[in-house]
Amino acid sequence: MSKNEITIIIDGKECKTQEGEYILNVARANDIFIPAICYLTRCSPTLACRLCLVEADGKRVYACNAKAKEGMNVTTVSEEIMEERRAIMEVYDVNHPLQCGVCDQHGECELQNYTLELEVDSQSFAIRDTLRETKNWSSVLHYDAGLCIVCERCVTVCKDMIGDSAIKTGKRGGDAVDKAYKETAPKDAYAMWNKLQKSIIVPSNGTEHTNCSDCGECTAVCPVGALTERDFVYKANPWELKETPATCMHCSSGCQIYYETRFDSIDNTEEKIFRVKNEWNYVSLCGAGRFAYDFENRDAKKDPQALKDAVEAIKKAKTIRFNNMITNEEALMLQTLKEKFGVKLYNPYARAYQKFMEHYAKESGHNLYPNDYKEIMQECDFVISIGSKLRNDNPNARYAFNNVQKMNKGSALYFHPVGDKLIPTFGKTVETFEHNPGDEEAVLYLILDLFADKSKLPKAVVDYLSKFHETRKKTIKEKVMKDVVEKVVDKETGEEKEVKKKVPQMVEKEVEYDYNLLVERVGGDAENFNETFEKLNKKKTSYALIAGEDLYYHPNSDNIARLIALIEKCSDMKIVFVPPKGNSMGVSLICDLDDEAEGFTVGYNEPGDYRLSALGDGDIDMPAINQQEGTMVIMNKRVVPTNAALEYNGYELNDIMNELGVGKRLTIDWTEELPLEKGFQKVKFDDLPNHYLNDGTEVRGYELSSINSRAKGTNPRKIDDKTALKSADIAYRSNPQRQFNDFTDKAHQIFEKFALYASPERAKELGEKVEVTINDKCITLDVIEDDRMSGSIVEIPDFISSADVISLFGDSRYAKVTIKRV
Amino acid sequence: MSMEEFKDRNVGVQNYRMLDLEPNPETGMDKFKQVVKRSVKLELFTGLKVTFREMFNALFRGEMHTTKYPFEKLPISPRYRAIHEMKRLLESGHYRCIGCGLCEKICIANCIRMDTRYDENQRKEVSEYTINFGRCIFCGYCAEVCPELAIVHGGRYETASEQRASYSTFEDMLTPLDQLAQQSEYPGFGAVSADADEKIKKTPLAY
Amino acid sequence: MDGYIVGTIIKAILVLAIISALAGFGTYIERKILAFMQRRLGPMHVGPYGLLQLAADGIKLFTKEDFIPSGANKFIFMLAPVITAATAFIALAAVPLLPEFNLFGIEVRPIISDLNIGILFVLGMMAAGLYGPLLAGMSQRNKWGLLGSARTAIQFLSYEVVTGLSLLAPIMIVGSLSLIDFNNYQSGGITHWLIWQQPLAFILFIIAGFAETNRTPFDLLEHEAEIVAGYATEYSGMRWGMFFIGEYANMITIGFLAALIFFGGFNSWGFIPGGLAIILKVSFFFFLMLWVRASWPHIRPDQLMWLCWKVLMPLAVINVTLTGLWMMI
Repeated sequence: MSKNEITIIIDGKECKTQEGEYILNVARANDIFIPAICYLTRCSPTLACRLCLVEADGKRVYACNAKAKEGMNVTTVSEEIMEERRAIMEVYDVNHPLQCGVCDQHGECELQNYTLELEVDSQSFAIRDTLRETKNWSSVLHYDAGLCIVCERCVTVCKDMIGDSAIKTGKRGGDAVDKAYKETAPKDAYAMWNKLQKSIIVPSNGTEHTNCSDCGECTAVCPVGALTERDFVYKANPWELKETPATCMHCSSGCQIYYETRFDSIDNTEEKIFRVKNEWNYVSLCGAGRFAYDFENRDAKKDPQALKDAVEAIKKAKTIRFNNMITNEEALMLQTLKEKFGVKLYNPYARAYQKFMEHYAKESGHNLYPNDYKEIMQECDFVISIGSKLRNDNPNARYAFNNVQKMNKGSALYFHPVGDKLIPTFGKTVETFEHNPGDEEAVLYLILDLFADKSKLPKAVVDYLSKFHETRKKTIKEKVMKDVVEKVVDKETGEEKEVKKKVPQMVEKEVEYDYNLLVERVGGDAENFNETFEKLNKKKTSYALIAGEDLYYHPNSDNIARLIALIEKCSDMKIVFVPPKGNSMGVSLICDLDDEAEGFTVGYNEPGDYRLSALGDGDIDMPAINQQEGTMVIMNKRVVPTNAALEYNGYELNDIMNELGVGKRLTIDWTEELPLEKGFQKVKFDDLPNHYLNDGTEVRGYELSSINSRAKGTNPRKIDDKTALKSADIAYRSNPQRQFNDFTDKAHQIFEKFALYASPERAKELGEKVEVTINDKCITLDVIEDDRMSGSIVEIPDFISSADVISLFGDSRYAKVTIKRV
Repeated sequence: MSMEEFKDRNVGVQNYRMLDLEPNPETGMDKFKQVVKRSVKLELFTGLKVTFREMFNALFRGEMHTTKYPFEKLPISPRYRAIHEMKRLLESGHYRCIGCGLCEKICIANCIRMDTRYDENQRKEVSEYTINFGRCIFCGYCAEVCPELAIVHGGRYETASEQRASYSTFEDMLTPLDQLAQQSEYPGFGAVSADADEKIKKTPLAY
Repeated sequence: MDGYIVGTIIKAILVLAIISALAGFGTYIERKILAFMQRRLGPMHVGPYGLLQLAADGIKLFTKEDFIPSGANKFIFMLAPVITAATAFIALAAVPLLPEFNLFGIEVRPIISDLNIGILFVLGMMAAGLYGPLLAGMSQRNKWGLLGSARTAIQFLSYEVVTGLSLLAPIMIVGSLSLIDFNNYQSGGITHWLIWQQPLAFILFIIAGFAETNRTPFDLLEHEAEIVAGYATEYSGMRWGMFFIGEYANMITIGFLAALIFFGGFNSWGFIPGGLAIILKVSFFFFLMLWVRASWPHIRPDQLMWLCWKVLMPLAVINVTLTGLWMMI
């Protein structure tokens, strides 16, 4: 999508923007206030509230829906507009409960704000109220229909951003608005009221309960207190809560969040996190980010003996095993330990990614992927996802994938061995392919074939690709208009007439077409693929490739890296990766990881002979992420800070470092020391910002700079036929939607269990409990059916470190397993 | 707006009424005259007369002012701000407090805290409510800000106690259920003014 | 001779006991009278009408911690209250308290020692009482105490002059220094009272008496608004109580002196027997002191001195001169 710089005038202020931007967004970016309830940045306009009525070149338009044109002159306030807006707020206030004090939104309620802002001091409308019942939609969602103003923000965000489309507007059964108001009420207010009286929000599956990923984004966007988190209902008031800007570290997205803390209760004055808030206009959280917040190591104490033991253990250690739930600073400390004491650093969660990135850097000439997800959401209209279980691996990658379908009228190709029923619902032009595990090379070759500029491709590759094309014949049915002559008798005159008519007729026809063996290989319908692809690719201008975690664990990951580098070079495709969960990018940049653990192992939040643990179950306590300051590298290639929301009374890793004589005064003193040669900057922790601007600019930390070298650009090898796993029982290492690690598991609002997940059909076969043998090791798991999965591959989560599932799987995400019913 | 009243900084002077005092004597003779006059006129005895009269009135005419405090108590003004009372709804006997937390917010001594929860009837329940009376300065803001006239100041001013905890609890502050009929509206801080009806606009109701 | 000694000792003990008790009772009366004049009730709750309040106060005074400031001159600090109390009681030795009466056939003269220089002795003793507050204030190493003792010195010394001069005229008329002679001189009924002959002397004496006993409007020695408690700042418990008893004993002494010298002493008064008459008269003077306290504000130190040296002393001298002239004529 090409975008031209244009200038429009809003209330006399010149505003520069890009063509096609909505007036409302232009105004917001330039600090001009236009009231709007229903509009969400990054989502499609709902036009439910009609508050954003403005005059553009003398015409009344809705700012959230009208696109800016060069030289447009916009007036945001006039007497008539204010009258309309006031009437709209009056209508919203009709029958809205007045005991604001009870409501959880009280104090940050947009209905309150706009009612005051638009100076509503009397009510001129009335209608009989309808009983609207309070409902608990899921284990985390609470809907008080009595408070709902049906702005549909929840519906919009769920559809356009999250992709679950779990809620919709339903019938309220309210009285019809008295026709007499048609004369007295302003037009927009009357229309809005008519709609309001008819609708209410209901789960879209027709039941009482939503079937969704429980991300709670709908509760965040709700302008009133209608949608709230069940756990938070009536517990505290917004103004009592202290906001701590932080970064969520569960997956690699690193969403900006605010921990909201307050004393627990009258009897217990300890600080407690009550909820997590986000800047919902600019960032959307997943269920783990929003609900897995109370994983703090609460009862940590300073025990000098434990510290002594820890120091001894580290001196004795041959290996330190850790995962990605650590900050950059801690990673740097561990790296320092490696340099000073020669311990091995073992992190199976980041090692594959690190290796893959090394290959990629060598082939492409830069050590970071070139694009980010924000660009994809703003610019792309065709996304391809490969090697990532989008629904589980990284919620923000999935949101971006979905958002492109909804906002940019995009299309998508989704390649993954595990069937997913949710992805196709993102849009009509989403094609999913269930290929064999290990066949990712074939997928990448297909992408090269479809999107790469053949003239830029090496000859060998072009030749190799052409081998996959065959010309085949197929019969298709075609509609042909045929002339038919009919005899018609005129009833009046009795004359016979011959009338010519055109009648459609289906005719079978044999045509030649190009049959792509690669499509067949990756599980697609090769026969009709050309037409499908033509449909998908219609009017598309900007492409993106989301490359996921499966690729890093692929046996030929070096070849995969070559292929991706080649795609990058030979097409204008934007490339992003999905780093593994946690601060995997930071860890892989900072630490020299080793392939294997050996000897005496110190585990940091991981199994080991001596355990440092932020979970409170180790030999010495460490602070959890919400109790410590530090930075992490996020998926958008930024180094962002996170702050401590809760008090921590125990020792930190830095204390151990001090005992070893290599520490610094504070943990955050390490921030400046992060390796410059890896793209970090020498910036003090306290100088790192963590917020968004009105126009959505991410003012968070600093951008990691890419280290460029000469691209090697080796020609990729041919597809390795041996890597594909076929038949048998295959298990996939993947976590349920809101689980990422021990910390999410510790949180009281995350209910997803550590179990074997399977599609409903497969789950029925397996029964309730199974014994799974992976690489000669056994693990007994409950079976839980995931009705959004399809196919026979089962998922085994790795979020519990003590179960050590990652070691069971070894170097791959897929494993041949034998499953026995227990 | 005229700024005159702000410019005049002789606050209070202009409103004083001066006593009709004779000018201070200057010469020795004047002073002597003043002494003689005062001595001969026996002004001092006027004072003695007044005190004696008061004693006489107090003893024999029942004009003693003393209230024997712990045994006798004077009625106090309804605006007096002593230990808080929590009012109940007359119809149901349920406490009026809706748990909005405004009193908690406005309390300048930061002595009010409440725990609320979602109860079985899908309502906000105040599960615990405390006022730290050791810290409370009885400013009345909580009563003023309360949208439900639920927390008000009562007349119980005898707050001496061995422990702060025994000043009052939520249950103590609530009107006892058997005295619900005697519960009176609070006329003090934050009460609805007599002309409240004239000040508000009526909301139309479609019932 | 033995009987005389035993009798004197008994009388001394009785006087000491009774006057001490009365001094305590005086505090109760004072609080009651002041309360009534302010239309209050005063002490009510300890005993009937609060009568046992003085017992409670006594217990409190006795049991209170007696402490001595670290920088104080310990000996003098401890001695000073004794001087005040002792001089007050010694002064009473020459004062006839009641008419003679018979007890178990023994004629009792209710005077410890009928000195022929009775008035001089009483005045001298009261003057010696100056040392109590003076030494107390100087020994306690407290600036308020020091200021208090300075005020004591000027006030007591100055008003000694007025007391002496004012009594000189009656002494000239009676021609004796014995208080019994004064009493006998006025035995002829109410018209023989010296007050009629010496009204000015009485007024001067009573004013000076107020100053001598440190009563309002001349209670500058321990004026709490200016110098905390003056010479008594650092005293507590019974030591402080001794100052108190001394003060009240002095008040009683002044009452007796006024009654004996100007108001007919213990002569029977119409149908009222002499014993009762003098008690009534002393009671009136005691009451007068409380009444004045309830009514009048106190004066400034400079006014105090001005009053003494520029008004009272000249008037006293004039009075003595006029009396002398009148006697010569």
